Amino acid sequence: MPEQLWFTELLNRYFGGAANSLLNAVHQPAAYPNAPINNFVAIEILVVGLLFVFFVLVRSQLSVESPGGLQHMMEGIYGFIDNQSHEIIEHDYKRFTPYLVALGLFILLGNLIGLIPGFVSPTATPTVPLGFAVCTFIYYHFHGLRKHKHHYIKQFLGPVWLMAPLMFVIEVVSHFARVLSLTVRLYANIFAGDMVTLAFFSLIPIGVPIIFLLLHLGVSLVQTFIFVVLATVYLAGAVGDEH
Amino acid sequence: MRKLTFLFLVIAILSIAAPVYAQGGTTAAPTFNWAIPIGAGIGMGLASGLAGMGQGRVAAAVAESIARNPGARAGIQLALFIGLAFIESLVLFAFVLIFLRTA
Repeated sequence: MPEQLWFTELLNRYFGGAANSLLNAVHQPAAYPNAPINNFVAIEILVVGLLFVFFVLVRSQLSVESPGGLQHMMEGIYGFIDNQSHEIIEHDYKRFTPYLVALGLFILLGNLIGLIPGFVSPTATPTVPLGFAVCTFIYYHFHGLRKHKHHYIKQFLGPVWLMAPLMFVIEVVSHFARVLSLTVRLYANIFAGDMVTLAFFSLIPIGVPIIFLLLHLGVSLVQTFIFVVLATVYLAGAVGDEH
Repeated sequence: MRKLTFLFLVIAILSIAAPVYAQGGTTAAPTFNWAIPIGAGIGMGLASGLAGMGQGRVAAAVAESIARNPGARAGIQLALFIGLAFIESLVLFAFVLIFLRTA
């Protein structure tokens, strides 16, 4: 049985039975029936909880006359992503900002929580970034379909009618490759950051690994930004008028 | 007070390497294939070296274009980040493949 963090133990003690029966119901029994919830999923649930509390806190303190620190911070983040989607998507961009902000904050907190001793980054496992990528995939195709209705398929067929069957296959493959590349980019960056810290920790166990934790901090921020920008670019491609 | 500060600093430095906590018990492979680490080293070296050359060209072009037109900094930086992410992701594919083969 793998090592468990305190939060994983807590979850497994109270929800282990439920998780086991859920996994058995879909015929994927857990590798360790004593601890069906692994560290990554547990910390992901913790991140969701923290974000939920944070949003409730911000919502309860919103005011027009005397905005507090939290409100300023959230307005800053929201404004940044709003500006950026305005630049990339151009018109009718307002409706996408909430999704992009939520995605960005989730990824950011998931990346950064691994820097705190006693936690792991949930994004350092392939399944969690896969979740983000699949959500983004469904989201932008949904909005493409909503905007263009049945004309959405023209985006997959290319300009030349004769080439359409070939183009369709290539486009479908490239859209699925987006999911793969989004997943692997986030996962491998965070995982490689952990590995580098670990390698230098085994060489010089004091002082030096901090440099790589700083690097990890930078990588976390940049990867969050990249993920959100790419989601915005894909959205812009799906709802744009170019076809 | 100074002693306490020093103690906390040392504890913080020692406990800050969080990934160490994630280390479980490792099991040795039944047979050791010497070609795998050599191939992993060559592959990772090729991937990261060539990506370094590519990213160097990107950075050079970005520096030049910002020098020519500092007003377009925001758009250029967006293109820079997207381009670097796509180049880097190829190295990371190599890294993941190597990790799958060696771990």
